Amino acid sequence: MINNKIITFATVLLAGSFFLTGNGHAEEAYDVQAYGPKTTIIFNTPVTASFDHKVHTADIGLDCSSCHDSEMVAEKRGFAMQRGVAEATGQFTMAAMAEGQFCGVCHDGDMAFGVDENCAACHQLPDDPIIWTAPVKAVIFSHDQHVNDIGLDCESCHSDVFAMKVGAAPATGNYTMRALNDGQYCGACHDGETAFASNTQCNTCHIGVKGYNRAMGTTPDTGGH
Amino acid sequence: MEMKINELEKLENEGVEQLPSEERRKFLKFGMVVTGVFLGGTVLSLTSTRTAGAMSGPVPEAGKFPYSPHYTMVIRGNRCVGCELCKEACVTTNNVPSYGYRTTILEKKRKIANEAVETAFMPVLCNQCNRPPCVRVCPTTATYKDKTTGIVRMHYKRCIGCKTCMAACPYNARYFKEENRAVDKCNFCWDTRLSKGETTTACAEACPGDVRIFGDLTDPKSDAYKLLYARDKVAWVLRPETGAMPNIYYMND
Repeated sequence: MINNKIITFATVLLAGSFFLTGNGHAEEAYDVQAYGPKTTIIFNTPVTASFDHKVHTADIGLDCSSCHDSEMVAEKRGFAMQRGVAEATGQFTMAAMAEGQFCGVCHDGDMAFGVDENCAACHQLPDDPIIWTAPVKAVIFSHDQHVNDIGLDCESCHSDVFAMKVGAAPATGNYTMRALNDGQYCGACHDGETAFASNTQCNTCHIGVKGYNRAMGTTPDTGGH
Repeated sequence: MEMKINELEKLENEGVEQLPSEERRKFLKFGMVVTGVFLGGTVLSLTSTRTAGAMSGPVPEAGKFPYSPHYTMVIRGNRCVGCELCKEACVTTNNVPSYGYRTTILEKKRKIANEAVETAFMPVLCNQCNRPPCVRVCPTTATYKDKTTGIVRMHYKRCIGCKTCMAACPYNARYFKEENRAVDKCNFCWDTRLSKGETTTACAEACPGDVRIFGDLTDPKSDAYKLLYARDKVAWVLRPETGAMPNIYYMND
């Protein structure tokens, strides 16, 4: 019995030390010179997107020069090693990538997944919920619910239905219930067949001024206005 | 039979829920009905069935309106999304201070099937009652029922700020306006719009959902009349038990 206990203890100790040293080895093994910066690059312009050097170098085996090539940089097909160069071109867009620029050099659907798919590999869902305050206060929308619960893809809506830019829909001046009832915007799905019709269940999305104030954590209802 | 009101008032209110209809009919035959029994049993008023007949339903019989024009507002509650554009329009039009309101939107949440919760918004304003409790209690006749339009209006100069009307109002539709040193309330935009030839209130005009339908019930062509007397439509009022005979009607669509 005592032997058993000692063996168990020794095994746990051994496993623990393997775990710790194993981890330590991995830390040392990442060579910044060979693989590039270890932390994930976060682009904020034109929209938030992330890029992980390790996946592309250590895991896939690309060389630095696959992307960091001065000729390619000049042609907007590669990336300079300084921060913000791609963004500063003003053309660091999905449209440009679809035409083979920047990430699109490899991400063409053949060499690597295309830029019209697998959005979440680089982009995250925006902070939920979105609350529109125009044309009326206030309409709530949850990406989490539509993507994770219902299983829609980004391109289900972000094709012709909604631009991805914040405030784009209200800016058209046509983001109205009339348009929805005609099958535009939310009405593309909320037509009574795919999802509940836009002219029903109003307050599922309309949270009113009171709901807006609660969501923003401002002005509790005092009875006045 | 001699009515001993003082003794009756001491009795516990039994409510009418358990009262068999046979008993109610007997009571009606007796020529009197009890009104106001729902007010916690503290108010006991007996009124003749002839007068109370008007209270058999909240909506007056078409064509029998005590005022001309008989202004009303029909509120299609299920269309309200709580955007409060009505409230903003009222504030601007009627110079309402931030601590008070002439109209506001109430919010109610209730559990519905499938574990869901439904939010309902309910616009409220002065009900321009046919039997306004506020008018009855005002010691200076500062608030009065307009003999032509039926709008419950204010003589601001006569108001002494006793706030009894605020306590009497079943709809919490009055507030004390510091700037005027007088109680203020909705008057269907009488001074700011209707008397100047406008045909609707600021709130009704501002509503993007056509929730508030303002109109004159003596005009059968008015949208308010058509809605209130549409086939298969059910309309209701708030707190009918007070016997105030309100003129704001609620319905869904």
